[in-house]
Amino acid sequence: MKTLRELLRDARFSLGAVVALVLILLALLSFFSPYNPTEWRVVPRDMPPSWKHPLGTDSKGQDIFWQMTFAVRNSLALAILAAAISRVIAVTVGLVAGYSGGILDRVLMFISDGFLVMPLFLIIVMLAMLVREHMNTVNLALLLGVLGWAWDARLIRSQVLSLREREFTYTAILSGTPMRKLIFNEYSLFVMPLVFTTLINNMAWVIGMEITLALIGLTNPDIPTLGAMLRWAVSYQAMLLGLWWWILAPIAISIALFVALYLVSLGISEYLDPRARIQRVGVR
Amino acid sequence: MSHKPFALPSLLLILFWMLSACAPAAPVVVEKEVVVEKVVTPTPVPAPPKEEKIVMGFPRSETLFAQQLTGRAGTPDNFNEWVGWKNRDRGMAQLMNEPLWTIEYAVGEVINSLAAAPPQYNEDFTQMTVKLREGVYWSDGVEFTADDVVFTIEKVKATEGLNYHVQLQGVKNVYAPDKYTVVVELAEPNSRFHTYFLDRWGSLFIMPKHVFEKVEDILTFQYNPPLSLGPYVLHSYDPAGFWTAWVLRDDWDRTPTGMLYGKPKPKYVVFVVYQDPASAVIAQVRHELDAAQLTLEALRAVLTQNPHARAYRREFPWVVNTDPCITGLAFNTLKPPFDNREVRWALTLAIDIISYSANAMDGALMMSALLTPSVPLYLKEYYERMEPWLRDFTLDLGGGETFKPYDPEAPFRLAEYARSRGYVVPEDPEEIKKTFGYGWWKYAPDVAAKLLEKNGFTRGRDGKWLLPDGTPWKFTVLTDPNPGHHHYQNTFAAVQEWRKFGIDVEANVNEMWSTLNLNGQFDVSTAWPAYEPWGGHVDLYRTFDNWNSAYVERELGKPHYGHLSRWSDPRMDQIIAALKATDWNDTERIIELGIEGLKITVEEMPGIPTYTYVGALVWDTYYWTNWPGAENIYAQPYHHWPNFKYMLPFLEPTGR
Amino acid sequence: MRFVRRYLIPRLVQYVLVTWLGITVVFVIPRLLPSDPIESMVATLQAQGAYRDPAAVKQMVDTLRDMYGLEAGLLEQYLSFWKRLLSGDFGPSYFSFPTPVIELIGRSFPWTIGLLLTTTVLSWIIGNVTGGLSGYFTGNGMLKIFDGIVMFVRPIPYYVLGLTLVILFAYLLPLFPFGGGYTIGAQIAFTWDFIKDVLRHAFLPALSLSLLGIAVNHQTMRLIIQGVKEEDYIRYAKIAAVKEQTIFSRYAMRNALLPQITGLTLSLGQIFGGALITEIVFSYPGLGFLLYRAVVNSDYNLIMGITTISIVAITTLILIVDLLYPLFDPRIRFR
Repeated sequence: MKTLRELLRDARFSLGAVVALVLILLALLSFFSPYNPTEWRVVPRDMPPSWKHPLGTDSKGQDIFWQMTFAVRNSLALAILAAAISRVIAVTVGLVAGYSGGILDRVLMFISDGFLVMPLFLIIVMLAMLVREHMNTVNLALLLGVLGWAWDARLIRSQVLSLREREFTYTAILSGTPMRKLIFNEYSLFVMPLVFTTLINNMAWVIGMEITLALIGLTNPDIPTLGAMLRWAVSYQAMLLGLWWWILAPIAISIALFVALYLVSLGISEYLDPRARIQRVGVR
Repeated sequence: MSHKPFALPSLLLILFWMLSACAPAAPVVVEKEVVVEKVVTPTPVPAPPKEEKIVMGFPRSETLFAQQLTGRAGTPDNFNEWVGWKNRDRGMAQLMNEPLWTIEYAVGEVINSLAAAPPQYNEDFTQMTVKLREGVYWSDGVEFTADDVVFTIEKVKATEGLNYHVQLQGVKNVYAPDKYTVVVELAEPNSRFHTYFLDRWGSLFIMPKHVFEKVEDILTFQYNPPLSLGPYVLHSYDPAGFWTAWVLRDDWDRTPTGMLYGKPKPKYVVFVVYQDPASAVIAQVRHELDAAQLTLEALRAVLTQNPHARAYRREFPWVVNTDPCITGLAFNTLKPPFDNREVRWALTLAIDIISYSANAMDGALMMSALLTPSVPLYLKEYYERMEPWLRDFTLDLGGGETFKPYDPEAPFRLAEYARSRGYVVPEDPEEIKKTFGYGWWKYAPDVAAKLLEKNGFTRGRDGKWLLPDGTPWKFTVLTDPNPGHHHYQNTFAAVQEWRKFGIDVEANVNEMWSTLNLNGQFDVSTAWPAYEPWGGHVDLYRTFDNWNSAYVERELGKPHYGHLSRWSDPRMDQIIAALKATDWNDTERIIELGIEGLKITVEEMPGIPTYTYVGALVWDTYYWTNWPGAENIYAQPYHHWPNFKYMLPFLEPTGR
Repeated sequence: MRFVRRYLIPRLVQYVLVTWLGITVVFVIPRLLPSDPIESMVATLQAQGAYRDPAAVKQMVDTLRDMYGLEAGLLEQYLSFWKRLLSGDFGPSYFSFPTPVIELIGRSFPWTIGLLLTTTVLSWIIGNVTGGLSGYFTGNGMLKIFDGIVMFVRPIPYYVLGLTLVILFAYLLPLFPFGGGYTIGAQIAFTWDFIKDVLRHAFLPALSLSLLGIAVNHQTMRLIIQGVKEEDYIRYAKIAAVKEQTIFSRYAMRNALLPQITGLTLSLGQIFGGALITEIVFSYPGLGFLLYRAVVNSDYNLIMGITTISIVAITTLILIVDLLYPLFDPRIRFR
């Protein structure tokens, strides 16, 4: 609570938090939608924004506002889930590799380097095609989560490497603190800011990747997400036919989402000890 | 202002469209085109291009720019189309190749191109004789003769890896009794052998003997620069595969095109790739692209922005509706419950064709009740002749109840829908039928329910359908991911209808779809519900033979090379055999057999025909006019069909 | 000597292993997909609408499968892939048989390299300078505005950004061509006119990529430099009254750039995959679309050709950067 209050003193963080809150509210609103998001022609088509349809309607005969609430919900859920999965992997690999060193470190870094050098987009495209028929939010999150940790694991490892050289490590080891305890109780505190920053970057990456995949047609267009909305709008030539409200809605939302994430991450990283973060800079 | 699914990145290209064909061998009545009129309220055209901008390396007033349908060429410097796929719609198919015969589906005939007459078979179809046109020359000045044809057949038969290599294995002997006659002797009777040389978006083309006889390895031969039998010859091309330019031959009068139709008007024709439909729209508005096939929405965007642009029809529904392909939904008939014809019929009656059309194309389509497209020839010979039978066709619902499903009123309701959307629609019933189709199947969810219940299906408490074993009925509809294609439109329209009926249906949008179709790994697929017929000839052998029980691979998961529904019927086998024994020129007998075959497909419903392929074709009349629009059908209208070369002599430069 | 044994040799072993791992994974994944190169090719041929009878198609598939060597098992194909690769050959493309893969790649390669190398390096430099400045001099009003713009540009989905530029600068204000690598009909030659033409065509794609690249680099750098700013040595330097500019350029930027160099290495390596969406929006020639089509058609040799080049490029660049690191950062010594 105290933390939060301190954070909120930062104007940027507050702004980001407010935007994020609004987005979450939007996502929650979807549970009260009067329309089924997958049903077509439930409202008049191609209507500009009005009181009845605050964001207008699209060429499929759907209300863009309510459609958007579903999109925000699905895209947010996707981002949080994927980012959480990749955080767990990144933190585990980073901590273990950094602390244990030796063979285990080599093996883990070998794997993460393997991930780093592979053409990631291509792999994602191919795997997306592979799980095509079962493509839903959870599977997409798994896919992006499992593929998006390598770089961050490296950062965390670098940090742990430097922590290992610090005095409190020696003190702890001398006083017989078990490694697990040391890692979880001591190191994790220092690693936290890094986890936060990378978490937010990762969420932004996931949302962007979802949009790209949707645009090239690799996600299920029946599940409303920011990408799916954009794909429908683009494929109905919304831009050239002057249906600006249709294309603007998903763009405005993605901008709001990224801005919120960015501001929050700025706030958090300024709040948490900046010195801790420096460690990732000095690779070893 | 707009709607209809269409799409984005034409990425997943290699779109396989089949469209239509063209010009009559007989004199063509060409009416002067009325001066451009507005189609949709025109908005100001942004910055009309200035003279020097339009040149693009070619004198604009003498050049026609057309969009290349299948996308960026994979091997732009290779013109050896006897090996693999070479993006032939970059001009090779339309300007350089002359087949022996060409299909003209819009007029309804077969054009003798290199051949001087239709093929002649002997009694038992083991020998085919072809008379060739005299005085045709290759673009390097060498005369085209029977030797070229003989050489081609022998070479392709002898060389593994060439397209048509397998098909020509039935040739026993081929020879030229004189310079303009070819005789092919066949090992087995084959009354349709000549159709390998009949161009309907592709056929086996003739090799110039004097070039190919010197080639050691035909498989790796680049054939660059290629020789042409058509009126144009290769001018230049983009090594990255985005454009190909052709120039009119000086001796254009020594080609079949010139002999049949006269001098093509454009001096240059350039095919250009636009990866994104939005850029094709912009190109058309900037007068940099004369002919393009887009999507309904992109078509509207062009018409709104460019007052010189026109579509095939000047008014709603704009699109080309004479295409020789039928779209719809194919069932995997080896997979329960789709192996049951009454289930297939129930799913048909669960579709409200009006709402279906609204979702698929905003009503801009021609509904078709038969598994054959509504091209003019088939409307006359099949749809009209079968109408009385269709009206009488009866389904047995069990318990003595029957139902006549045919609905001749459907097109009028669709016209009503279009009016309600604010479109101008003809009042004349005959015009409406020609625009929206002759009829479809009734929307009868209650009858559908009876058919299902008769077969042990039940409804759950939530109103959703349960399979006879009591589990929820779920299935998917397979489509390719190109939102511009009718496969996609059909998929989402069907999903909407069947969900409304109480089935958990999902779309399976899948780039691997052609493989899944081939291997029978789908429930319902929106690939063509029937293999396309010729369109310009009444013979339906090509369509029916794909349902031949001899080809059916009964194990799902193994590739099947006939029609993807894997449906077969002993009665159909008999018709296929009878057609095979009927001469190609005996059209009355062929029509009789065709009608019998179509009746079986109605009873069995192996796939649901929904609408005839419609093409969102847009022409810019800023530089070229007298396009073959609906009011002036002198040839098939597409620039990507081989008959494009036969249309070019009728175009008129505007002198701009 | 200690350096060689303790650092260099293990690093080289790692280099070889990582390259091998990457290539192997990319070898296996496309073969798990249900599609198959022969069937894709045959499907395309069939789509020509040419008359075929099903029995003939079946025979054709068998013949081609045999010709392409796809009858062999996975392991056998894998071994022959390496055998071929080590002799410097990627084999023929299956979909565009028998054109060699290397020829297909060679045709698109210059376009991709030209566009992406320039924009990647440019946006890295610009983004890091602006990010560094605005992270260090947080009070500056101009930089704050720039920060704000970046914040809004970065999240715009790239496709929309590209299309917006096309509509703005090629349609409403027709200053630039809206697609293609060069004017239709132009002869490819090393003349000033042609180069000018190529540059004009590359402008919008380059602008779209740079805008995004600058935004990403800017934001990352900004976060990093804020951390560096609080470091003790910066404070000491300030106390020692070293000039602000000197601190910024000599101490802060130099240290903050280290992780960015690794980032640059990675993005340089990714260049070889092309830029799919750019190529679609601007009808721009390049490797991205080639690769995408290869994946859709399961053109295994083509996929392997492009990805092998890409993987080797990345691993090699990383290796070089790792070996050069002490030059950038004297604090680092090989251990």
